[in-house]
Amino acid sequence: MISSEKRSDKINAIIRACRIITRMNQANPEALRSETLYYQMLANYYTRLLNAREEGRFVAAHTVFFPSEILYAMDIVPMHTETTTWMMALFLGEQAEILSAGAELGLVPEICSPHRGLAGAFSLGALPHPDAMLWSNLICDNTAKSGELIMELNDCPGFFLDHPFQRSEAEEKYLIGELEDMIHFLKEKSGRKMDWDKLSEIVARMDRQIELFREINELRKSVPSPFGIRGYLQLLTVDYLCPGQPEAIEYLETLRQELAEMVREGKGAVSTERFRLMTLFVPPMYLIGSLDKLEQEYGAVSVVEPLFTRWAEGRLNPSQPLESVVKKSAMIPERRSMYGPLGEPALQDIIDCAEQYKVDGAVYWAFMGCRHTCATVRLFKDILNERDVPMLTVDCDIVDPTINSEEEIRGKLEQFFEMLEDR
Amino acid sequence: MKALGIDIGSLTTKAVILCDGILASSIIPSGDEADLSARAAVEDVLNRAGLSLNDDLYIVSTGVGGKSVSLSQQSKAIATCLARGSHYLYPSVRMAIDIGAESSTVIKVNERGRLNDWVNQDKCAAGTGIFLQQMAKLMMMPLEEMSKLSLQAKSRADITSTCAVFAESEVISHVHREPPTPKEEIIAGIYFSVVSRIISLCKRIGIEQDVAAIGGVVLNRGLVKILEEELGFGVLVPEAPQLVAALGAAVIAQENIEKGFS
Repeated sequence: MISSEKRSDKINAIIRACRIITRMNQANPEALRSETLYYQMLANYYTRLLNAREEGRFVAAHTVFFPSEILYAMDIVPMHTETTTWMMALFLGEQAEILSAGAELGLVPEICSPHRGLAGAFSLGALPHPDAMLWSNLICDNTAKSGELIMELNDCPGFFLDHPFQRSEAEEKYLIGELEDMIHFLKEKSGRKMDWDKLSEIVARMDRQIELFREINELRKSVPSPFGIRGYLQLLTVDYLCPGQPEAIEYLETLRQELAEMVREGKGAVSTERFRLMTLFVPPMYLIGSLDKLEQEYGAVSVVEPLFTRWAEGRLNPSQPLESVVKKSAMIPERRSMYGPLGEPALQDIIDCAEQYKVDGAVYWAFMGCRHTCATVRLFKDILNERDVPMLTVDCDIVDPTINSEEEIRGKLEQFFEMLEDR
Repeated sequence: MKALGIDIGSLTTKAVILCDGILASSIIPSGDEADLSARAAVEDVLNRAGLSLNDDLYIVSTGVGGKSVSLSQQSKAIATCLARGSHYLYPSVRMAIDIGAESSTVIKVNERGRLNDWVNQDKCAAGTGIFLQQMAKLMMMPLEEMSKLSLQAKSRADITSTCAVFAESEVISHVHREPPTPKEEIIAGIYFSVVSRIISLCKRIGIEQDVAAIGGVVLNRGLVKILEEELGFGVLVPEAPQLVAALGAAVIAQENIEKGFS
C-alpha cells in the first residue's frame, strides 16, 4: 500500500520548484510579470491537486486534449497526466525512475515516453490517486490505450470519450452525446452537479483565451520576434492545464501586453535575431535550458509552431456551452496536422506560416513515440524545401534523455545554423 | 597567407594546406586529445610543405573536438566542410556520401559548394569503418585483401542483422556452416549490409547526381562497387577520399583569407 505522503512527494516538489522560481522572478526587476504569473499558475494548479483529498474534493485524472473545461465547471479537480509527467522531467529531472517503472509494466521504449512515464509514475504511487480516469482518442493514439492502463493501475472507474475523426453535423451531435454521457458518469461518481452557468463563463473565457493566442501569434510575426522557445512550451501548458480559467487569461493578457511593448520598442527575444525558426512538434523538455542558451548564442528564435500554437478559425458561443466545447476540440491546433487525414489545408498552413513568419529554417523534433505525427516528416520537408526553407529533422524523445545526448542535439542544431548562415 | 584545414577524426587526424591547389596533406593517427592531435597534424603538414608555424597561416578546424583546437582561427561543422571539399574536387557533385570510422554522413551540396541538407548516423557501428575493421578481424584478413576478394563474388551472403554485434554472429555462422559460405560472398554480404544502411540515409534526403563517395572507408573498392550497384550508377571517388573534410576546412580558410580575415 502506497502512503499518501509518498504520493504527494513529487507534486510537492513541483510546487516547491514553481514557488522558488516565482520568488526569484519577483526579486528580479528585469523579469517579466508574465513569467511570475505563469509559475504562480502552475503552483496553484498543483496545490489544488495536492490538497484535494484533504478538502474532500473529487480528483479526475485526464489525458491530453481532454475537455477539462467540463471538470472545472463541475468543481472537480483535474490532473493532466501527460503534462504532470513533463513537469516531473522539467522541474525534478526524475524521468529515469518513472520510465523505469513504466518498463516494469512492459512498456517498451518505442511507446510514447510521457505515457510510459505516467504509467510508471502511477505504479510508483508518485501521483495522487485519482477518483476517476478520463481519456479520449482525440489526436493522440497512445492516449486511447494508456488511459485504460492507468484506470487499471489506480483501480478507479473511468470514462473513454470517443472522438470522431471527421467533422460534420452528425459527428458533432455524436460528440455532444459523448460529453453528456461523460457528465452523467461524473455526476454519478463524484456526486457533483454540472454548473451550466459556470461552463458558459468558462467558454466565454476560453473564447478570449483563443483570441489572445491569436494576438500573440500576430505579435510573433514581428522582426525581431519577441517570444522564444520556452514561451512556446508555456503556451501549451496554459491551455492544457487551465483552459478558460481566470489565471490563464491574466497570464495571457499580461504576456500579450509585454510582447506588444517589446514589438513597439523593436526588442526581440534574443539580443540579435539571426534565424527565424519554425518548430515542428515539441523539443525535448529536459533540454529546455540548453535550448534557451542556444537560442541566445545563435540568435535562433522559434517564431511559429504550426502543429501546436495555431488555432483554427472560429469563435465559441457561451450561450451554447456544450456545443462550444465540441467546437473547441475541432479548433485545437494539434488537430489540423496530427489527427485524421492530413489534407491540403494542413499543408497549406505550413506554407503560409513559413511565408507570414519569414521563416529561415524549420526544426522538426521527430519524437519517436509519436509515430503518426512523424509520418509527416517527409511531406513537410518537401513542401518547405520547395519554398527554399531547409528543415532539420532531429530524431528524439521529448522526455527520455537516454535517446539523445545534449551534445548530439547541440551539434545537429549548430550544424543547421551554420548551414543557414552559409546559404 | 596559406589556408590550412584540419579534420580530427576518431581514428585519424588529417591536415591539408591549400595554396593554388593542394600544397601538402597529412594523415596521422588521432590521439586522446583533439588539440594535441591537431597540433601534430599541423606540424607534419607544414613540414611536408616546407613551412612552419611562424609562417602566415589561416587555420580552420573541423571534426570531433574541432572546437578545442587552439591553433585554429575558426571551427566549422563537419558537413559544411564535406560540402566545400566535395565541391572543390568535383563542382558537379550534388550529393556526397561520407563513410568514416565511427559515423556515416550523407550531404547534399548546391552549385556553390554550400551544404543544402544532410543526414547522419552515429548511433551504431553498423554502416561505419569500425564495423568493417571488426569484420576483417573475424575474416582473419586485412581490409585491402577483403576488398580484392569481394570483387570476385558471384553472389552475396545474407547478413540480415541491423546490429554490428549480431551481424558478427551471422558471419561466424557463415564461416562455420557445412559447406562454408565462400569467403568472397561473406565479404560481399558484409559490404552490402553497410551499403544498405547508407542507401537508406541517402533516400531520407533524396538521391541527386552527381554523387561522390568520400571518407576512409571508400578506399575499399569492393564496397564502392556494391554501392554503385545499389545506387544504379557510378560514383566519383577522389584519390584521397579521407582528406575531403580537411580539404573543405582549407577551402573555408581560403575564403576567409580572400575576405580579408586574419
